[in-house]
Amino acid sequence: MDFPDSMSMEEAFALAEAEAKLNAALAESKARFENAVIPDRLNEDWRFGRPHKYARELAELLQSNTPCTGSAEVQGCDEEAVIINADDDDLKQTEMLMPTIGSDALLGLHLKRFGNGYALYLEKSYDSPIIINYRSSGLYTPSTFIMAAPGVHAHIIENIHCENGATIFAARNIQVAEGAKLKVELHAFCPGVEQVQGRCMVITNVQNMGGEVRHLTNFLNLDWAREETVAEIYAEGSDTQLYSSNTPLEHMVLDQHTRQVHHVGKAVSNLLYKNVLEDKTTATFAGNIYVAPGAHNTDAYQSNRNLMISEYATVNSLPGLEILADKVRCSHGSASGPMDEEQLFYLLSRGIPRHEAHQLIALGFVEEVDNKFNAPF
Amino acid sequence: MDETTFQVDTRGAFSMPENHKFDAGFGLTEATIDYICDAKGEPDWLRQFRKDALKKFNEMPMPYHWAPEGIRNVDFENFRYYLSHGATPSRNWDEVPEDMKRTFERLGVPEQERAFLAGVDAQYDSETAYTNMREELQKQGVIFVNSTEGLKEYEHIFRPWFGKVIPVGDNKFSALNHAAFSGGSFIYVPKGVKLAQPLQAYFRINSESMGQFERTLIIADEGAELMYMEGCTAPQYDSATLHSGVVELVALKGAKIQYVTVQNWSTNVYNLVIQRGLAMEDAEIRWIDCNLGSGLTMKYPAVVLQGRRARGEVVSISLAHSGQLQDTGARMIHAAPETTSNIVAKSISIGEGRASYRGEVKVLKGMKGCKNNTECDALLINTASRTDTYPAITVNGNASAVQHEASVSQVDEEMLFYLQQRGLTRAQAMSLAVNGFINDLVKEFPMEYSVELRRLIDLEMEDSIG
Repeated sequence: MDFPDSMSMEEAFALAEAEAKLNAALAESKARFENAVIPDRLNEDWRFGRPHKYARELAELLQSNTPCTGSAEVQGCDEEAVIINADDDDLKQTEMLMPTIGSDALLGLHLKRFGNGYALYLEKSYDSPIIINYRSSGLYTPSTFIMAAPGVHAHIIENIHCENGATIFAARNIQVAEGAKLKVELHAFCPGVEQVQGRCMVITNVQNMGGEVRHLTNFLNLDWAREETVAEIYAEGSDTQLYSSNTPLEHMVLDQHTRQVHHVGKAVSNLLYKNVLEDKTTATFAGNIYVAPGAHNTDAYQSNRNLMISEYATVNSLPGLEILADKVRCSHGSASGPMDEEQLFYLLSRGIPRHEAHQLIALGFVEEVDNKFNAPF
Repeated sequence: MDETTFQVDTRGAFSMPENHKFDAGFGLTEATIDYICDAKGEPDWLRQFRKDALKKFNEMPMPYHWAPEGIRNVDFENFRYYLSHGATPSRNWDEVPEDMKRTFERLGVPEQERAFLAGVDAQYDSETAYTNMREELQKQGVIFVNSTEGLKEYEHIFRPWFGKVIPVGDNKFSALNHAAFSGGSFIYVPKGVKLAQPLQAYFRINSESMGQFERTLIIADEGAELMYMEGCTAPQYDSATLHSGVVELVALKGAKIQYVTVQNWSTNVYNLVIQRGLAMEDAEIRWIDCNLGSGLTMKYPAVVLQGRRARGEVVSISLAHSGQLQDTGARMIHAAPETTSNIVAKSISIGEGRASYRGEVKVLKGMKGCKNNTECDALLINTASRTDTYPAITVNGNASAVQHEASVSQVDEEMLFYLQQRGLTRAQAMSLAVNGFINDLVKEFPMEYSVELRRLIDLEMEDSIG
């Protein structure tokens, strides 16, 4: 290793140590991908997720010769947005180190197709939202890296257009430095109602180093959507909020997995996932709050609410807690139930037709998520 | 707060010298089963049944998935599968062999029987040493015998329900129990008979490396009501002991069954118990479960709500100190419309103890008007304590309401300060706080047990605070 002459002995040691640590982590990560198996029915993180169908079909597609076809564009941010190219080792390493929730094998396959998507190095604040659009009508594997420097304020909207039965598998890494305030929205959808519905899987890793971050996901009009979001809290005083609101329709299978990992204490995390289930949809939510040993004075909350509209819909909810520290305040809640008859009666008695009343109540139900996400910092 | 080792209730921590007429040796093979069948004088169908179950047991994988790590250490070769003095229990304490009688006297069983029980079944290692029931109940047609006698004398009632609530192939431990079961109770309460006083079973493991596979079947006929209580203790040995019981409850139309367990095994016991009840129309099954002992407990009392308006309830308290993993929870399967269930689980982790809640609530397709409420609360006493919650909730359709809530907290410093300022020691204050935490659940236990529980928890708190 070469060190510049200006570097002091301590700095050189620190740098060498950091490099050794990184190399060890990368070696571990390499082993992780080599040993990983395509998710099957024994994979606990794919419980209720139908891995024999969705994971296997996605893996087969990724392993096949099908090329990645898709487009990426950014609006509202010019010089700080960089198109990722396949040789960018730093970004590739970042993706290699990303945790998944039961899908290491799939992330390994994603890495083999690395080289699509955008990296945002946010050094200054933005008043208006930055919009990223990924579009494909075939197979596409974009990566998104968002790095917010200390004190930066920004709002990022990421749209994934799954056109005509496309399969889009995205990996996202969001790093929030001290004092940064970040809002990140993800919308994955099939743009036309008459189109064949596509599939979308998103692996997200939020690393909070002392800032405030709000993360929102929304999946609409798809055949299958799987979300794996791991929020890691590395600094005291940080605030991490995870939101999602979905109204799946027809036969959509929505499979959401989250983890709130508190490595250090005195930090806050909060999660609110709300779904309105219609038709023959299935929604699975599996969340976990992990409080590491010694992460005292943690405040962590998790809430999953499902409004069941259709008698053919199914919801699976697995809210989990793993607490290895004390002096923590943690709670989770999960509730699934039908529409409130009294609310419905009230609207009907005011002359609103039944189906409109249903829509109004459903809208009101998910609105809470949008309100909390959009509330001023 | 310093974490120190903690002593469980010491009343059960003694052992008697081994003195067995029958000993099937280590490991479970067809020869072991032949030995058990010969010793018990069982019919051929049962021998074949056990052997089929053994085949299944050998074929089935260990349930490593959705299970705690500790289960990997269970080695089936290192247990003794049948130890007894003979299969016929005594009806009179005077006839019970001396060492067993002394054991149960030290545990206070005969005196409790005189005081407030309608019947007692005392199991020592593999077989029941004593069963008795008040005479007036016998006249009403209540059956309370051990499982061996139940199969022999009441085959026409026992056999149709045997293995129906928990089938052989349900999981590996169910197959194991079907192959090696002995002891446990068989209870039948006829139509409309309501038992005013509880029936009690006492399970005692005395011998080292013992595997206890009791089998309990309770049938409450239409409109019948009963309460059944079980207590468990074992001495501390160096080698592990396995307790893998199967408990099946059947509550027919309008019947009510309450099943109370206070488990205080020593920490070398693997407590892997399957408990499941079937509740028919308007029936009610309540599991009241208290886990204080054992090194690894995996126990998820279940109710299958099979008839309209059936009701299931699980009330669970678990206490994990250093070296213990209490993996407890509940399962509720809503298989009929308008069924309701309630789960209240509270756990306390002390020292390096780990308490987990693992639960399943399922509302099957087309079931309308089902309601479930689940609450789990965990209390952490020391910095190294751990608690987990792993619920799984599945709801089909838009006509049922299910809610789950869990919280984790520690004892409020301000509360302790207030109590200490009033002159209580820190240990007393802590004990009071912990008792307050589980107070509403302790009330669910019968009087004698709740007094006992409070005493146990006081004792533990005294020891766990440095």
